Amino acid sequence: MNPRFSLLLFMMAGMVVAFAPLPVPAVAPQARIFRIDARQYAYSASELEVNQGDTVIIRLVSADVVHGLYVDGYDVSVEADPGQSATLTFIADKPGSFRFRCNLTCGAMHPFMIGKLTVGNNNWLFRSIGLAMLAVFGVILSIKQKA
Amino acid sequence: MRRAELLSRILIIIGIILAVGAPLYFWKSTPIIHAQMADDGGWSPDVIQAEVGKPIRLKFTSDDVVHGFAVGQMDMQSMDILPGKVTDVTLNFDKPGIYTFFCTRWCGLNHWRMRGTIEVSGSPSDPEPISPPLYVSLDLDIDAPHDAPIIPSQTPFAIRGESLATQLPINIYPSPDYYLSHSPYQVFTDLSNTSLSESQRWDVVAYIWQSNTTKESLENGKQLYAQNCAACHGENGAGDGVFADDLAQAGEASMQSMSGAMDMMMQTPVDFTDPTRMLGASPALLQGKILRGGMGTGMPMWGSIFTEEQIWDLIAYLYSFQFEYEK
Amino acid sequence: MAKIELTRNPFIKNAIKSRYPQLAVFIVMLVGYIFAILAGLIGTPVGSHNFSIVFVWIAWWAVLILVAVPFFGRGWCAVCPIPLPGEWLQRGAVLSPPEKRPKWLNLRVPKMFRNIWLQNISFLLLALFSSVLLTTPNITGIVLAVMLFAAIGLSTIFERRAFCRYLCPVGGFIGLYSQTAPIELRIKDKQVCVKCEGKPCYNGSAAGYGCPWDVFPGGLTKNTYCGLCMECIRTCPHDNIAINLRPFSADLAKPSTRMDEAFKAFIMLGSAMIYAGVLLGPWGTLKDAAYGVGTGAWFIYAVVFLAIIFGILPGFFSLGLLKTKSNLPFKQRFASLSTALIPLGLMFWVAFSLSFVLTNASYILAALSDPLGLGWNLFGTANFAWQPMLTTILAPAQTLALVVGLIWSARTAQKSASEAGVSPLPIIFYSFVATSTMLWLLL
Repeated sequence: MNPRFSLLLFMMAGMVVAFAPLPVPAVAPQARIFRIDARQYAYSASELEVNQGDTVIIRLVSADVVHGLYVDGYDVSVEADPGQSATLTFIADKPGSFRFRCNLTCGAMHPFMIGKLTVGNNNWLFRSIGLAMLAVFGVILSIKQKA
Repeated sequence: MRRAELLSRILIIIGIILAVGAPLYFWKSTPIIHAQMADDGGWSPDVIQAEVGKPIRLKFTSDDVVHGFAVGQMDMQSMDILPGKVTDVTLNFDKPGIYTFFCTRWCGLNHWRMRGTIEVSGSPSDPEPISPPLYVSLDLDIDAPHDAPIIPSQTPFAIRGESLATQLPINIYPSPDYYLSHSPYQVFTDLSNTSLSESQRWDVVAYIWQSNTTKESLENGKQLYAQNCAACHGENGAGDGVFADDLAQAGEASMQSMSGAMDMMMQTPVDFTDPTRMLGASPALLQGKILRGGMGTGMPMWGSIFTEEQIWDLIAYLYSFQFEYEK
Repeated sequence: MAKIELTRNPFIKNAIKSRYPQLAVFIVMLVGYIFAILAGLIGTPVGSHNFSIVFVWIAWWAVLILVAVPFFGRGWCAVCPIPLPGEWLQRGAVLSPPEKRPKWLNLRVPKMFRNIWLQNISFLLLALFSSVLLTTPNITGIVLAVMLFAAIGLSTIFERRAFCRYLCPVGGFIGLYSQTAPIELRIKDKQVCVKCEGKPCYNGSAAGYGCPWDVFPGGLTKNTYCGLCMECIRTCPHDNIAINLRPFSADLAKPSTRMDEAFKAFIMLGSAMIYAGVLLGPWGTLKDAAYGVGTGAWFIYAVVFLAIIFGILPGFFSLGLLKTKSNLPFKQRFASLSTALIPLGLMFWVAFSLSFVLTNASYILAALSDPLGLGWNLFGTANFAWQPMLTTILAPAQTLALVVGLIWSARTAQKSASEAGVSPLPIIFYSFVATSTMLWLLL
């Protein structure tokens, strides 16, 4: 096969793996309430999973100093003092995996005070691994062709 | 030596001197008060000199976490002191004396230890007579047990109490002095010569407590409570704040140490939803506890921080964990 | 793809041959570096608002790993201020060589240290303390100062740039990854060098100094140890040295057989994965362990860190190699095939750094206006709030980097494998598993 043609073929296959729409499982949206305890320098619970469309209600409880919680991608945040818990409510309408992190300097390791919110399936991870597989497959094929 | 070489060397030396000298110069010439968690040193410096009538401009910065600044017993907005940022505060004192400044954002178990003093010198304009706080003039032993032997079977309801009170022949609008110096349980027993049932008497007590405060005071007390008390005593007053476990641990540790008795005896925070304790305490008694603090139990001393009015507002709010007031 | 000789352009050539443009950059860099030390020592202890942390670990790191190394190889070394004071003392001049050379010891570095094991160790030392180093300005200040003085000290004892060549914790991996860069310094015609008398490029002349990196340019086949200091371009009497634009990863076609370089590849691959998990992951216990230097948890962390780098990663790699049949001794196969991990590791670092840098880049503006945390507002940006940038394209960009890295690594594996006469499949599979792990850690 013409190597240019096979490259084109692999690029197109890559596009399909990366962007092909997946059926979204129809789950009735519900309100999901989480209590997150924040301390230097971790959240617990630090890994949240919700379905796409759910209303996420996070009650942030600070256990030592003033902490915040900012959700990447959603660009929403809340801050809580010890003794004054605060609530963040938003609708998880974007699927995927998002880091949430402290947005009020809370000591040395503050930039790494991170948790993870997964909305629906973390499809981008599976797509990425799919792309990696496709890439490996392509390279091996090109080696075989040359041999 | 060639001119170019010489010039280059001079340029390099000037550059190095600037790179070292400029930061040192500006660092030396900018006096900043650093805020750190109490365990790491608190305020530095923690003593500030000022003069009556001369505005004093202070620069604050935090070296670790979010802190706040306010001067006790002064009518001022507390200022946030953010890590790595500089906050300018201008203060003006019209009376000489020693003022306490304190951190206003919780910064760990020992947040309340983060205090300093401002020594304001100058001639006193008109010396005000200082009256001792109520708990002193009443000669209360604020460390004595004060449990209420009888507690209500349901939450006393002030609105029910109001309609009952109007039917009573006695004067049910006792003076503020009466309210301040009596515990709810004492008022409950004072009402025993009426024809009311126990639960009705508790409702009247609730009404008396409500009529001695205002919605504004309760709101103010609620705010003070959230900012200063809830971290230990819990957001709902149940003694289960985020630091309650740490205090219990610290208490155990001090019990185990060799000189246990001399050490601080940290205690778990008081549960304000416990009727036995709260209904047996008069406002004056609570005032004493708040003003003086817990003497090593972990309960801070608030006398130099709160104004008298703030303390009464706070106490009015504390009773709202026991009584149901008109919304 | 053919090479393009950049030094053919008279403007580029003159800018390199003249010492003044480089000196101007050097002075700016040195002043900035010393300022960063001072800022670290006396500025605010809050890392995200201190010039030393923000400029070293966010701005410099971003430029280094996302631009300088992938596109310019050792381009950073060409402008790095750390060796300068020592080198100027050693040379007795900041411009061209003086009449009288100062008398320093000028010893040769002992043979046992003439490899990059010391650099591997110095990098690992910093890596084990990285959580504290990355976040504590005075530690960063001290480390920067120690590097500066170590470089000065070594310049007075040993000949040339002993610090850069054998000790610098950063230099080791820049050298390793510079092999992938599309830029190189090479001779034009081998015959000219063969006939050249005195080899001034290595030994120095009145026009310039002998190679500070202890490399004979005539024998250069890869970028690893050429610091792009441009000295040989000035000393070559035959105008036989060129800076070339070339295809990416050209040096990887000639796999190394050195164990120190092979392990450097594992160290870099492993640390990128560990950092992605510890620093960017949602696991608080790991962060506590990494930050609690001296505690029991930290010792466990350090042991696991080293076990991953020296045990698990090379272990599985060897297992894959054992399956292959070849006449080459195992050590040689190991070193030669680890070349495949060079582009992989580089792209792991790119993917990891993208997240860290885009999240925290907004600190740069604030720190620029108030570098010491004294309440200044030099450029009016002191109150610029922290705001993660480009969060929507971060994940796709990371995937792209990692998949490109995997393809690149697989093609490199194929080349090194065919030279070693073995099958590349186990190594390609190894790279795929590592890439999938990294994807899982980051996404």
